[in-house]
Amino acid sequence: MTGPRELDPVIHAQARLRVVATLNTLGEANQITFPGLRELLGMTAGNLSVHLGKLEEAGYVEIVKTHRGRTPTTYVALTRQGRRAFEDYTATIRELLDLG
Amino acid sequence: MNRLDDDDDRPLSPEEMLRLIEEQQATTVRRLGGDPLLTHTPWGITWLAGFGALYLNYAYDLLSRSTALAVLFALMVLSMATTFFAQRTVSSQVRGEAADRGMMYGLSWMFGFACVVAICVRLSPLLPSEETGLLWSVTSMAIVSALYAAGGALWRVRTMFFLGAWLAALNVAGAIAGPTVHALLISVGAGGVFTAVGVVQWMRRRGGA
Repeated sequence: MTGPRELDPVIHAQARLRVVATLNTLGEANQITFPGLRELLGMTAGNLSVHLGKLEEAGYVEIVKTHRGRTPTTYVALTRQGRRAFEDYTATIRELLDLG
Repeated sequence: MNRLDDDDDRPLSPEEMLRLIEEQQATTVRRLGGDPLLTHTPWGITWLAGFGALYLNYAYDLLSRSTALAVLFALMVLSMATTFFAQRTVSSQVRGEAADRGMMYGLSWMFGFACVVAICVRLSPLLPSEETGLLWSVTSMAIVSALYAAGGALWRVRTMFFLGAWLAALNVAGAIAGPTVHALLISVGAGGVFTAVGVVQWMRRRGGA
């Protein structure tokens, strides 16, 4: 992919882009459960885990393991850095479209 | 897992990427906004049948008042349970500001209806039977219309806001015209429209999913 700016390789994979787009839509200060996110994306748990791992490594998502009552629950949220990366990514895509 | 990773690496054009983002955002909003078939439609059917039964009683005496009220109340309980179930499914998946907002919004309905019950119980003995029915209906619908519109404002959902506004307009017209017309307007105007909007949104959602 060539263009005026380099597209963020972490987000530039369909599955991770969908993850980040979903988390961004939730808005700041909101977290979603792992099963809730999996359902929204229609991914397998294993596949989602792999992509979340890559996004977490890049500092784009925060994974919080906690308990709701006695049930262990995992929440996922976009970090500020992740939100900025997504905004930059969409801005670059729009730039590319304008140039095309 | 790796196979899927390879699939994801298939290069997409900027147009396709943008479309992917927009589709995912729309899906998220639709799913977390609750299933329209479980929110608008049950109330639409409740008003269509419940106020329809009341209209048949007021206008033609085809049903007894107690039968009409039994239909209305039974459907209301069913709708409340359905709405509660639909909202709980969504709110159990999200925490943070959105969930807090949803919980406070839910409690606002309880506060509003507590006031309706208080004033109606106090005033009902002073009114003729048909006017008592109108008092309960108009005050209840006032809360429903205001909170529907407020919900639309809170989540920036225009359809919800306009449904609230439409309900308020019917309620005002019915309050002025009297119990028979009010029952007819809420049954056909509100019940019919809410049912249709729920079904249309659900069909669009299925088409877009």
